[in-house]
Amino acid sequence: MSLIIDGLLAILAIYLALQSLLAPRLTQSVFLFFAFGLALALAWIRLAAVDVAITEAAIAAGFLGVLFLDALRDFAPRIPAKNEAVQKQYSKSQTKSLFLPRLTLWAGLGLFLLIALEAVWKIPEGGGLTAAAGTLLPESGVENPVTAVLLNFRAYDTWLEMGVILIGLLAVFAAGGKMAYRKPGVASQDPLLRQVILFFTPVLFLFGAFLLYIGKTGPGGAFQAGVLWGAIGILLHLGGWPFIALMPRWLGQLLLTVGLGFFLVLGFLFMAAGGALFEYPPAYAGILILIIETLAAISIAAALSAIFALLNQIGEEADEIESTT
Amino acid sequence: MTHLPTSSFPALLVGLPILLATLSLFFGSKGRAVVGLAGSLLTTALSLIAIAEVTRRGTVIHILGGWDPPLGILLRIDPLAAVFIGMLALVGVFISLYAWWYFRVREADTGGLPQFWPLWLFLWAGMNGLFLSNDLFNLFVTLEVVGISAVALAVLSGKTTALTAGLRYLLAAITGSMAYLFGVALIYGSTGTLDISLLGQVLEPGATTTFALLVITLGLMIKMAGFPFHFWLPPAHSAALAPVSALLSALVVKGAFYILLRLWMEVFGVSLTYAAGQLIGVAGAVAVIWGSWQAFMQTSLKLIVAHSSVAQLGYLLMVFPLLILAPGVTTDSADWLSPAWTAGIYQVISHAFAKASFFLSAGIIIMALGHDRIESLRNLVGNMRITAMAIGLAGVSLIGLPPSGGFMAKWMLLKGIFLSGQWWWAPVVLTGSLLTAGYVFMLLRLAFAPAREMDTFRPVPKSLEVVALLLAIGSFLIVFPADFLIQFLESSAVFGSGIEPIMEGGEYGNN
Repeated sequence: MSLIIDGLLAILAIYLALQSLLAPRLTQSVFLFFAFGLALALAWIRLAAVDVAITEAAIAAGFLGVLFLDALRDFAPRIPAKNEAVQKQYSKSQTKSLFLPRLTLWAGLGLFLLIALEAVWKIPEGGGLTAAAGTLLPESGVENPVTAVLLNFRAYDTWLEMGVILIGLLAVFAAGGKMAYRKPGVASQDPLLRQVILFFTPVLFLFGAFLLYIGKTGPGGAFQAGVLWGAIGILLHLGGWPFIALMPRWLGQLLLTVGLGFFLVLGFLFMAAGGALFEYPPAYAGILILIIETLAAISIAAALSAIFALLNQIGEEADEIESTT
Repeated sequence: MTHLPTSSFPALLVGLPILLATLSLFFGSKGRAVVGLAGSLLTTALSLIAIAEVTRRGTVIHILGGWDPPLGILLRIDPLAAVFIGMLALVGVFISLYAWWYFRVREADTGGLPQFWPLWLFLWAGMNGLFLSNDLFNLFVTLEVVGISAVALAVLSGKTTALTAGLRYLLAAITGSMAYLFGVALIYGSTGTLDISLLGQVLEPGATTTFALLVITLGLMIKMAGFPFHFWLPPAHSAALAPVSALLSALVVKGAFYILLRLWMEVFGVSLTYAAGQLIGVAGAVAVIWGSWQAFMQTSLKLIVAHSSVAQLGYLLMVFPLLILAPGVTTDSADWLSPAWTAGIYQVISHAFAKASFFLSAGIIIMALGHDRIESLRNLVGNMRITAMAIGLAGVSLIGLPPSGGFMAKWMLLKGIFLSGQWWWAPVVLTGSLLTAGYVFMLLRLAFAPAREMDTFRPVPKSLEVVALLLAIGSFLIVFPADFLIQFLESSAVFGSGIEPIMEGGEYGNN
């Protein structure tokens, strides 16, 4: 029975991915991509990786979806007419001459997939590091092995990944050539939207806090909580409370860097005390991990809201240029 | 590896630049430049002290979090890592100095592009982390840090050409990362460990290992722009701002090469065959010829320099066939291993200095002329003596004429080729040098030619020209400590090692 469910799920995921790639209209692609993200999240649950499933759903289907929709709103009105003409021309002139290269490409891809399948099939029984992590779990300060690996055994990787999120934000700034957010205009006048946002903000906050706390014992943690809190920032921005743009610059930077910075300074302190980087005293490991996770979630939430605020603003500026010319 | 002496330097080499990058975010454009330059100087000093420590104590390690591998992550500075960290520090500090003046002139009103300095420090930390890491998954994370900050730097100017090239660069970099990660997942699945030293002992040959080797190699080849995955490099490197082009071409691509070298020599020995070495050698040889020819055909300076990078990276791949021995040859009888390794290391270092100098000079010329079409280089010698000299010296090093570092690299490569009897690589090295001479002398001929019409050279700060010249001179000076450097490297376990493939047996590698 479970084999049938897994098989159907695998087929569904691949089908949705292909449909998303091949859909003729961008809007369809984006909505199929949501569905694909959810199918993947289900697959992770079937693989008993609930932590990954929550992150997958939150990032792939949630945050990326929001960014895609925002991009769609900015660019879709300008694309279709041109796109259809181009596509018609393309299909007329190119189909024949591209037949052979396409055939080789697909054949090559198929061959690659077959070899990959064989490689995966033949993986010897290894067992991984699960046993090692289990043995040392009591010394880690938390009961959830995933949190123990992420925040203690391999905290260095997680710390660098937090750096990657910050670099991603800097990259958005760099590509937009921007230094600051634009000061916001009038708040949204839609009363229904405002009411909905006012209702959802505390709910999301509490749910995020819950995920953060539960990460100590079960699936959950900083990344999942950070995405939920980031959703608050995005909702508030859409509702006309762009707090990221309104707060003083130093405060914004503090929120963005506090996760990465505190983690590092703490690591340096323990190093100065004679240990290694990120070597917590076992007695305080639990509480230190909770503090680090809370600050990390704040930074992740700030970075996600900031990325959205910036992209949203770039889109609005493009609209203005459009309307003036 | 855990028995080696521990030291705080590996942790500091990653932590300090990231701390400074984070701090710099709190400042405006001008403050960021100050923090960035100070951070560069501090990181360079720290790198040099760390290297001194390695010469004194040998390989040092840092066990992060106090958790022994394979569960935890281990950082190590062995002589090979120390040499790469030293190259990064020396070339990096010159590029920082150049960037300091460059942005002050270019963005005089705003004080510079504010994202440059934090991104550059993040990139520096990521590269240090990459050289230090002894863990397959951690290497993936450092590749992410390096890749994303490199792409962000490449699009810094905000021009359409840079953004288009940057997007292509990003897609290539992500494809490379995913391929690498897929391979790492296969290795972890079959061995349950990610530690490079342990993997070298426990990895079993088989279909899974061979496929992991294939996708990891593919991923890293994409990242280091090895032929035929070089398509993203020329547009991305030539469209970036001058200091960024120098960073990307001189330093960033060497990161993926370093991982490839380490993994082939330390992990995948069980799956490598003589043919695999020849195959990657062919990719390198084609890159040398194709890249040099393309460089020769370009009409704008930055595109010449960018295509030249494709070729110079090809020489690095040509080291691999020499390190994988023919069936029946033992490591002890292979006297070409040491020259081959020396060629590889010297090619990495001399190209870093020469290419950085070349790109920085190109930036000076763009600043003076407003464009970089080479016909306007006429009478460069009369107008900008120092820059002309920098281009000449860097060019000589790229060709491989004595007494430059490039000569050392190509001479040692030829020595290795003839000692190993793989004579078929020799014509490639010579043709590559001839073609390189072609485009370098074409530039120099124009630089000495009398001006046809008066192109107006706007004044450029002398300090910029001096930095570019110093880097070009550096590509010559690195020859002097050669004896010391090779002696130092020979205390590294991996330097001078070769792989003895056993050809008989099963269908996959050395069963």
